[in-house]
Amino acid sequence: MSRAPTTNQATAAPEAPAASAAIGTVTTGTTAEPSSGVGDGRSWPAGPAVVGGAHDTGSTPKSGQAAKATEWSRRGTPWSALAGVALLGVLVLAWEVAVVVSGVPEWIVPAPTAVGRAMVDNAATLAPAAMVTLGEAAAGLLIGSAIGLAAAVAITFVPRLERAILSVALLAKSTPIIAVAPILTIWFGFGHAPKVLVTALLTFFPMLVNALEGFRSVDPSITDWFHSVDAPPRAVFRHARWPTSWPYLFAALKVSAPLAMVAAVVAEWMGASSGLGRSMWLAYTNLRMPDLFAAVFVLTALSALVFQAVVVLERRAMAWRAPTPTT
Amino acid sequence: MKGATVTTPGVAISIADLAHAWGPTPALDDITTTIDPGSFVAIVGASGCGKSTLLRLLAGMAVPSTGSIGIDGATPDEVRRQRRIGWVAQRPALLPWESLRDNVLLATRLHGDASAGPDPDALIEMVGLDGFADALPAHLSGGMQQRAALARTLALDAPLWLMDEPFAALDELTREALAADLVDIWRRRRPTVVWVTHHLGEAVALADRIIVLSPRPGRIVADLAVDLARPRDVTTPASQAIVRQARAALADATTAGVRS
Repeated sequence: MSRAPTTNQATAAPEAPAASAAIGTVTTGTTAEPSSGVGDGRSWPAGPAVVGGAHDTGSTPKSGQAAKATEWSRRGTPWSALAGVALLGVLVLAWEVAVVVSGVPEWIVPAPTAVGRAMVDNAATLAPAAMVTLGEAAAGLLIGSAIGLAAAVAITFVPRLERAILSVALLAKSTPIIAVAPILTIWFGFGHAPKVLVTALLTFFPMLVNALEGFRSVDPSITDWFHSVDAPPRAVFRHARWPTSWPYLFAALKVSAPLAMVAAVVAEWMGASSGLGRSMWLAYTNLRMPDLFAAVFVLTALSALVFQAVVVLERRAMAWRAPTPTT
Repeated sequence: MKGATVTTPGVAISIADLAHAWGPTPALDDITTTIDPGSFVAIVGASGCGKSTLLRLLAGMAVPSTGSIGIDGATPDEVRRQRRIGWVAQRPALLPWESLRDNVLLATRLHGDASAGPDPDALIEMVGLDGFADALPAHLSGGMQQRAALARTLALDAPLWLMDEPFAALDELTREALAADLVDIWRRRRPTVVWVTHHLGEAVALADRIIVLSPRPGRIVADLAVDLARPRDVTTPASQAIVRQARAALADATTAGVRS
């Protein structure tokens, strides 16, 4: 069947209906900007806040004030940060009062002031111990993340590897760390190696799963465009999959970076010559509760700092993300 | 729009006995037609009638179940591999982390030396985005992003533009402004344009031929020439007559489909 265009008898129409006609789900005049796209959690930046006018060539950059307001709405105002500090202060005060009023012995629950004194007194030993744990955690996180990332890249390029790699990864992830750590200590001694290995073992899985999801979450319209210009898979990866995965990679790091600190400390509990875990173990076996709490607080503070470092890194790395529209 | 250089002329398309199904779902059936080089053809039909499927087949992104497509004697896949297809979809598909300039040059960068390619700033200026070459897509409006997508297509210098409702997500005024500029560029460069839309008024405003598809599986139920002078006013009786013809063809096909 071959068709040629039929000549239109345009002038035969005595009455013209509405100016524009559409079929089905037509948009007639109202703005229907795509929003955050790809789904947002995974996705592209939120849609632009301004839509062009009659001759839509100008943009309306956000004013500094509006941008600041948007930023605050995303991160919370300075008042909310102050409120957090105030709440913490109230809790510490309540703890101090409760210990003093109840008369509970220090070797069971030390007062915050006693913990503070222990931190000052043990600063000379806590600081190097913290550095050791931080180093082990960083090395383990680096190795674990690199392995998880490499595995995700391998699966992306060779999807047939997915089942094999994920099966092994799941087995490794399901192995209880508390059982593995002593074995590794027996094998590798009291040095840093077993701690780094335990940390890597615990942190590779979040990176693997998130990176894989990130690589796959490219906006289909972008992959269509790459397909239309016959882009090779490595170019699609470099220009689309890799940058798309960043929010996922940072999400993985936000989980695994504090986890790395805990993993390193747990491994140190199983036998170590230095580190915060070692300090905790010594304090615990000697029932020096203020010292134990002091080490715990240092670990907690370090974990929070590590988390914040990832957040700052993420914010800088993904400056291309549009601020959330205020209206 | 600023001046543009005349480049590669449009391609001729020949479609014969084309049918396609996605799994068990038929999408297109009995499509046979030809498209002249340098023409602007609109494909209209209801949602799900196979318009976008036809465009994907023309782009070589899928292989038809039966039938054939020839683009200047080559298969769509061959044309795609030669990077002679300009693909513009409803979403601009710009890389959010790259500047407008880098987005425009992306195809050139993917396949070699970007410095040997077209001047991106001239293309950006051509689509009316002067001064935004260093801006990120997130800082542009939807209309501006589509303009940038158009500049990226211009950078390819492709003789075949396949456009899948590129202005559907824009407001009416922006859509009209963009459409006018698009026609301006098309008249200078004369690529073959296949434009998918479900908006009959838009089809009349832009195309010099409208192919109406029936509801799924899409079959050609009307093939209308639009012999109207440009720029067009879709409110004139002549334009509205074409709209009515297309609408009637579509309504008949829908009724027939319901009865069967």
